[in-house]
Amino acid sequence: MSENTAKRHMGLRASRALSNTLIHVLLVVMSVVWLIPFVCILLQSFRVESTWQVGYVIPQKWGFDNYVNLWNTDFPRWYMNTLITALVTAVLQTVIVLCMSYTLSRFRFKMRQPLMRFMLILGMFPGMLSMIILYRVLKDLGLTQANAVPGLILVYVASSGMGYYVSKGFFDTIPMSLDEAARVDGATRSQVLYKIILPLAKPIVIYTILTAFMGPWGDFVFARYISFGASAGKNVAVGLYDWLSKDQINKSYTLFCAGGVLVALPVTLLFLFLQKYYVEGVTGGAVKG
Amino acid sequence: MKKIVSLLLSLAMVLSMCSFASADSLAGTYDIKVWVANEIVDLTKKQIENFNATNDLGIVFNATIEAQGEGDAATAMVTDVDAGGDIYCFAQDQFARLIQAGALAKLGQGAAKTVQEGCDADAVKAVTTSDGTMWAYPLTADNGYFMYYDKTVIPEEDIDSLEKIIADCEAAGKNINFEMQTSAWYLASFFFGTGCVSVWKTDEAGKFTSVTDTFNSDKGLIAVKGMKKLLDSPVHVSSSEIAGFANNAAVVVSGTWASADAKNMLGDNLGVADLPSFEVDGQEYHLGSFFGFKLMGVKPQSDPVKAAALHRLAQYLTGTQCSLERHAERGWGPADLAAKADESVANDPILKAVYEQKNYGVVQDAIHGSWWDTAKVIGDGVKAAATEDDLKAVLQKYEDDIAALFTLDTSALLFVGAWNGWNNADTADTYYLKDGALTLDVPESDYMGGRIVAPGSWDTDKGFAQVTTGAELIKDLGAENPDNNIVFAEAGNYTLTWDGTAITIVRN
Repeated sequence: MSENTAKRHMGLRASRALSNTLIHVLLVVMSVVWLIPFVCILLQSFRVESTWQVGYVIPQKWGFDNYVNLWNTDFPRWYMNTLITALVTAVLQTVIVLCMSYTLSRFRFKMRQPLMRFMLILGMFPGMLSMIILYRVLKDLGLTQANAVPGLILVYVASSGMGYYVSKGFFDTIPMSLDEAARVDGATRSQVLYKIILPLAKPIVIYTILTAFMGPWGDFVFARYISFGASAGKNVAVGLYDWLSKDQINKSYTLFCAGGVLVALPVTLLFLFLQKYYVEGVTGGAVKG
Repeated sequence: MKKIVSLLLSLAMVLSMCSFASADSLAGTYDIKVWVANEIVDLTKKQIENFNATNDLGIVFNATIEAQGEGDAATAMVTDVDAGGDIYCFAQDQFARLIQAGALAKLGQGAAKTVQEGCDADAVKAVTTSDGTMWAYPLTADNGYFMYYDKTVIPEEDIDSLEKIIADCEAAGKNINFEMQTSAWYLASFFFGTGCVSVWKTDEAGKFTSVTDTFNSDKGLIAVKGMKKLLDSPVHVSSSEIAGFANNAAVVVSGTWASADAKNMLGDNLGVADLPSFEVDGQEYHLGSFFGFKLMGVKPQSDPVKAAALHRLAQYLTGTQCSLERHAERGWGPADLAAKADESVANDPILKAVYEQKNYGVVQDAIHGSWWDTAKVIGDGVKAAATEDDLKAVLQKYEDDIAALFTLDTSALLFVGAWNGWNNADTADTYYLKDGALTLDVPESDYMGGRIVAPGSWDTDKGFAQVTTGAELIKDLGAENPDNNIVFAEAGNYTLTWDGTAITIVRN
């Protein structure tokens, strides 16, 4: 071991330390940039000295007034609307998607390929295209404005069967021989799904639930169109947006921020606890199409 | 069988006659939807209950009241008139749009007479179309802008002069918020101040047919000179947000909707006044403004009895008593004359400023939708201008753009080609044929071709084949020119004339 090699080693270590530092500095800067808007909203939601937009970020007086005041508005109603829509959609959509994926992954029937192709093409049309006609249909069913919640659930769930790609991909990676073994032991098809496939596919189940929950939770365009002119049918995104209108923003700006924090809360918690599965789900399903 | 049918038919007739007979009486319970601004939802609920309790016609309304800002009431109504509010409030500028969408029911003779006699004359004009039909009830007469200021920065004796206000604010390092660069609504203030007009005419279908616009004139030049003083000041901020008071502003030009917030922000230091005057070449001009009304409309109903009952309610809600209640609770300026004369309204300092400014105001009539974008760029143009010629150029461009709105509408012709990216839409680099003639620079390029078309179209009947004079200046491409394009042989400056049958080309 000569002196030169030792020097080279030191050089390597030093350069690695340097590049690590640089990368970390860069990452810190990026995360600060990403976090600034959220921190601002959080801080503004605790500002109680005034209700309008101001030129500073740190509140002069702190308090929970905005959160308390939310109860005196329609916000709880909007929150419940959104929660009900999102939960029901999450359950129904998950069931449908998983059944669909299982069927397309394990069964071999005549229309399998044509059906998949048909859904692929159908999925290429932008959903917004159907907005006006859906509004008309829902209106005839009496599911708009104040009754928007069941209407929205119907719309979200109705098309969910087409979102089977990721979970079918994941199911395909589970060996067929497992199914066959179970079948030989006398399990029915549904037993195979519940007792064999689903326990193995936990990440994808959670991933499906999460995405099914997130869609309705943050939907704005469609929800606004369906619930227009009726506060009782709005979801949080639409309701909060109205607080930013010209005649309300100065009274409701901090209230809006508080509402925004409450909207972000459940989603953030969900992701914190289920992050592991989410990542596995996204990457796992992408192995084979 | 025949007998049963005839029996049924006659029964139906009797029944229908019964329902006609009851049309005379409005008594009944009606489920209705009412859209009003968020801040008067509770008040309106109370007022409708009062109406139920006090009306002697036996009308009972079971009302669902929804918050809907007047600013975008028309957008919401037009989405689905059927599902919209039975009674709703909207700002005056949406009037024409709502009539076109069939979202407003005409006033009956009785109601029209009450409005005519009981309301502000300008407000009556605002709800009447050119054929004399009335379509809505005036709700407020306060939709204009004026000046909120901080008394600690600007002394009372200075508020009549724009120059003194600017000097005070510069001395104190405080801002003047006046939305001059992003809003034609505020920017027009200077032009109206010097007596310029922009009056738009529509035909019965609501299509714009002509405009009398004097912004590009000597008076307009005075206006932009005054405007430049404000824009050049480092303390000017182009905003109408009342929250500006929390961001170092001493003056905010805004409207009554901001009054409660302004009071909250400045407290006793809040001053309110009509807009100041500005001075150009030794002469004073008082700033003008747009002025408008808020209106209440009734949606057309399939049931005539319900419609009649709704009109009664609308009359009640826009009447003296309700107007006074809205003023007491929210500071809204009534359109109802009796309410306006009431002591509480007459002594309201904010409404005093509103009415004072109204004397210099221009009632906002139907205005072409493109005007707002065409006019708002004047602000930036004036700020960038260095000389008087630059200012004139800004006004000239404005006039050209306004004229272009009609050239496009009246199927004037334009010249499209390689020089403007084959642009046949209405934009800045569109070449219009004014009085059939056009002078343009043809830049050097591989293909220096183009033809005369009607706006928005690509017709090929006015091109190479129609050139009678100047054929030596253009190329004869024969079969390679299926689109009948005029292809210039060399780059240069040319004048084209189209007399209706032939094209003349002259090289300048």
